[in-house]
Order: sequence, then structure tokens, then C-alpha cells
Amino acid sequence: MSGPDLVRLDLIQADQADLIHHLARFARALRERGVAVSLSDEADGLAALTLVDLLDRDEVRLALRTALKIRPCDVAVFEELFARLWSAGEEFRASRPRPPRPPQPMHGPSAPRALPRPASWPQAASTAPDVLPTGDEPGYSPEAVLRRKPFEELAPADLQEMERLLSRLALRLATRPSRRRVPTRGRGEADLRRSFRRAVADGGEFLSLARRTRAIEEPRLVVLCDTSGSMEPYTRFLLAFVLALRRVARRSEIFAFNTALVRLTPWLRPGRVDLALERLATRVPDWSGGTRIGECLAEFVDSWLDELVNGQTIVLILSDGLDRGDVEPLRGAMRAIRGRARRVLWLNPLAGDRRYEPTARAMAAALPYLDHLLPAHNLESLERLLPLLTA
Amino acid sequence: MERQGYIADRAITTALFLAREMRRPLLIEGDAGVGKTEIAKVLARLLDTELIRLQCYEGLDVSTALYEWNYQRQMLRLRLAEHEGKSADEIEDLIFSRGYLLERPLLRAITRTEGPPVLLIDEIDRADDGFEAFLLEVLSDFQVTIPELGTIRAEHVPYVVLTSNRTREIGDALRRRCLYLYIEHPSLEKEVSILRARVPEAGAALAGEIGRFMQALRRRRLSKAPGVAETIDWAQALLRLHRDHLDRETVEETLGCILKDHHDLREIGSDELEADLAVAVGAEAR
Repeated sequence: MSGPDLVRLDLIQADQADLIHHLARFARALRERGVAVSLSDEADGLAALTLVDLLDRDEVRLALRTALKIRPCDVAVFEELFARLWSAGEEFRASRPRPPRPPQPMHGPSAPRALPRPASWPQAASTAPDVLPTGDEPGYSPEAVLRRKPFEELAPADLQEMERLLSRLALRLATRPSRRRVPTRGRGEADLRRSFRRAVADGGEFLSLARRTRAIEEPRLVVLCDTSGSMEPYTRFLLAFVLALRRVARRSEIFAFNTALVRLTPWLRPGRVDLALERLATRVPDWSGGTRIGECLAEFVDSWLDELVNGQTIVLILSDGLDRGDVEPLRGAMRAIRGRARRVLWLNPLAGDRRYEPTARAMAAALPYLDHLLPAHNLESLERLLPLLTA
Repeated sequence: MERQGYIADRAITTALFLAREMRRPLLIEGDAGVGKTEIAKVLARLLDTELIRLQCYEGLDVSTALYEWNYQRQMLRLRLAEHEGKSADEIEDLIFSRGYLLERPLLRAITRTEGPPVLLIDEIDRADDGFEAFLLEVLSDFQVTIPELGTIRAEHVPYVVLTSNRTREIGDALRRRCLYLYIEHPSLEKEVSILRARVPEAGAALAGEIGRFMQALRRRRLSKAPGVAETIDWAQALLRLHRDHLDRETVEETLGCILKDHHDLREIGSDELEADLAVAVGAEAR
């Protein structure tokens, strides 16, 4: 603490009204660049400015950073705008708003796949998301063979067996005991507070002990499934898996996206998976069409994020990440999702190939915001996912 | 602050000054080990007041953070009161009074009579959303309501410091309530002066070598970059071993002080160590 003698209260220099005006323009410029600055932050900023030495440029800068709550990711923008604001005496020009997004061309199934290059993982691996390797020990039973078989090589005869396995798999999805305690009628530790309350009513006799136990939390999932053409061979199985998951995680939400985002949850009813899939297919416009991952995820963030995603939610994105569109919206959306969700997982069928590298532009842009990038090309890879959905 | 052994840069002093003048909680974020918690401790020493610490964890609830009734005492009093033949209402008034209340950190911070304390709410990101909302309420009004007792208002508004390791995003509402400070890993000069202040037994030469080595190490891609806390630990370990300069053998033996992740320890092979060591010692030779 530097103390008031070090940081002079120096209001004489500034015309208060001028200061407000100046700050408001600065805040607006920040907002235009996507830095969240609210009115109450501005008020804090003004209060802070009345406390510091306005002639000390460095101090003003630090005070505004603290009072406007500038996060580390926004510091660069803040510094840039501040440099312009405080260029002594010079008129401060608000930065130009970002140009509206150019209409995105659609990227259809013709989008070329990223050519797999020889495995050289170190860089991607050290950025945080770990890519689980696919198992390569030999399998012996027919079921084991089926579990390893890539989805796109499945014969129609395998389909039913596969769906049976999928639903069994989903049931193994354990529920997670929370650290929170809730009242229970059964066994559990004594809840003295409630016991005492009861005892008072009974004239001081502890006729029964109130008990509490750890709450059981079922996992909350939000699934965003890419249904574009390049995902065609996998979509059916991934959706079947997701539908099976919903039997245990009832509060799961399911969205499909390709060129637009569709919320599928209202159309999900218990019943046979194949029927459900057909029902879903009719609800999704442009099934097997092109894909605009960034715009769809941005729409999800705008319309659904606050409502559906909180600290307990695990967000699961099923996509091959093949999208040649602008990666900026994707980056922004991933950042927002990452900020709210308990965990963000990306299932990529292409990642099953051991030579796969997340070099497709959309995939590379999303990578820093993921907890895990996982393969999703066969049943075994989905099994590896289960522990990540519970802990 | 320097007298308290804390080397602060202007960003930190400015933020603390504003928090004190504006009477607002200060939310401090930054990687583990950059000295977030230390700030609150130093602030308490500077203001010559009590530091009340609330360590957050998942499942933290009101009875651990705010208050709990002293059941054993209540129980004894209840038995006594029965013998005295008091009515149920009288008994209730008796045992649900201040004397039977166990004050937890939040309540103690509010009820402290000898001037405002420093309230440190450590690692708020570990508590769940529900607790965050509750905290927001306490921090806005500095009053709490206990159903059996009524509302208790703060005697003195405490200085509040919240820290977060950013394992999850803090809710917007709470962030708005606070002033905000982000602490980065220190620069070389700052790190060396911290070392000189905290581990004065280490000579200038050793402190310089350690500082440069740590800076070089942090530039590598590590999953857990070592903080200043690790630097200080390491310097103390080196002193215990009676080393006054860094060499390869010493560093390899004591690497566990600074790299606390199995993956990182494996990643940083001898070549990398050699290179960082050259940076640390090489600059010395020049």
C-alpha cells in the first residue's frame, strides 16, 4: 500500500465533466472492440480517477485497468486504446466499429480434408488438451472386433448390435456424488442443526436424528452435433450414443448444426433410437449439407449459453472441424463456452487416425479452449469418453 | 510494502490504494504461486489489523463460512432449562442467542469490534455458484440474517481480498462488485529483488542466477509454470545444501522444488536444462 502521501489526490487539474466525457468515450471504444465494460464499471472508473494523480499517466492506466476489471485476455486491446486516449492533449478518436461480418460462403462436403501428416504431436500436446491415443492391442471376441471397427466400415447387419452396445455403454455412465449435503431420510451423517430444531419442538427430546448425505448429481451435458456432409458416416452413431446417454443424464440438451443451429431436445422422446434418429433428421434443415461451425457456435453462445451452461455442465462438440470459414467467430464462441462450462470436450472422428493432426483451421482455432480432443471413430473411443463425463 | 518483505509493483500498489479508498473488495487473479494470498497478509500487517481467512472449496456451505450453532452447549442448556421448568418459547429464546453461536470467518469479519479486519476469501473459484451468489449478498450489504436471531450488521466494513486461480470463470455479478487485479509472473528484476528480500542469506550472485534460470524456464511450455513461491522454496533448498552457485548436478538434484508436474519433469530433458543453465550462468560471466 503506497498510502495517500504517495498517490496525491489531484483533482484540480481536471474538469470533472470533461473527465466523465472522456471516460465514457473510452468505455465505448472498449465495448466496440468486444471488451465487456458495463455502466457500473464506468462509475467505478470515474471514482478511481478522482483518487489518483491524473497527471501520472502510468497510474491512471493502472487505476483504470483495476476499476474497469480488464481481464488478461483484453489487456492488449485496453493498452492500445489507452495509448490513444492519453496521447497528451491530442483529440481522442473512438476506434472504428468492427465491420459487419461478410456473408459466409457455405462449405459443403466438397471441402477438402486436411491431409494427415506424419505424427509429430509435441506442440499441440503441450497446449493443454490431451489427445488420448487409440488402443492398438489385439481384440479376440467378435464384440471386441466390433468395438474397434470404424463406424464408416460397418455393414447394415452390424448396426443393430452396435446400437445395443451403445446403450449399454451409456448406462455405465456413473452418477457423481457431490460435495454438497442434502437432507435424507435414510442413512447418512447426523445433521445437528435440523435435529436440534426438531428437538426443540419435542420439548428437548431427540426423538429422531435428522440426517444428511451427499447429493447425487447426474451429469449435465450439452451436446452440439455437426450433421454436415463430411460427418455423414459418423452422425448416426454419435447421435445414437448421445440419445443413449440421455437415458442416464436426463437433463442433457442436444443441438444439431450445419449451416444453422437447431435445438433438438424438444423432439427427443424415449423410444427406439432408429425411429428417433429419423424424426430428428426431418427437423434439421440441410442435413448432410455444408457447415459453418463458427457462426453456429456463436449463435449457441448468444441464445442458449446463459440458460443451459453452468459450472456443472459438460459441453460436448461432435465435429470434424472441417470448415473454411472465418475462425474469429469460432474463437470467440469457444472462449465464451470455456468460461462457463465445467469441461469442454471435442469429439473428432478424424482423430481416430493416428496420423491425424488438428491442423484444419477451425480445429486449430478451437484447440486452445478444449479440455480434451478425443477420437470418435469407433465404439471403443466412445468408451474412453465415459470417465470424462462423470468426474 | 517493501518493509514487510513484499516487493510490489505499481499495478499492485495502485489497486490496493483504490480498494482501500473506494472501500470495495479486490479480486486478484493470476497463476498459482504469484503471490496473491501474500498480498492480503501484507495488507493486514500494514493496516495493523487482523487477517481473517476463508479458504474456499467445493461444497463449502453457510455453516462453515458464516455461522454454526454450538450444539453441545445448547444441549446442556436445554437439559438445565427443562429442570427449571421453563416453557418451550423461553428455552428457544435462550439457546438461540449470540452466546451459543459459533462465528465462522464471514461472521467474525463482520462482527469484529476493534476496527475493520482484512477478510481474505481464498480461491473463490473452487467454491460453487451457489456460494458465490451468497457471497455477493454478503459483500453488497455487509449484513447477514440468521433466522433465529435476526439481522446482524457489520460493525466496521472489512477490507476484502478475493483470490482466484482461474480454474473457472467468476460470475459477472461478483466481478462487478469488485475491483480487479491480474498478477503476472514477475520480471527478472522483480524476482531477484523478491529473492533478496525473502532469502537474504542467498548472495546477489546466486539470486541473479536463480532469477535468470526461472525466467528461462517459464519461457518453456510447461503445464505448471513455477511461481515465485517455488523460486523462494528453491533458494532455501539450495542454501540448505550449501550451494552458492548453480551447476548441472545441483539443478538436477533439486528440480523437484520448482517443477511439480510429472509431465514437466519428463519434458525438460538435460538439453533444455543445459540451455537454461547457460542463460543463467552465462550472463553472469559476461
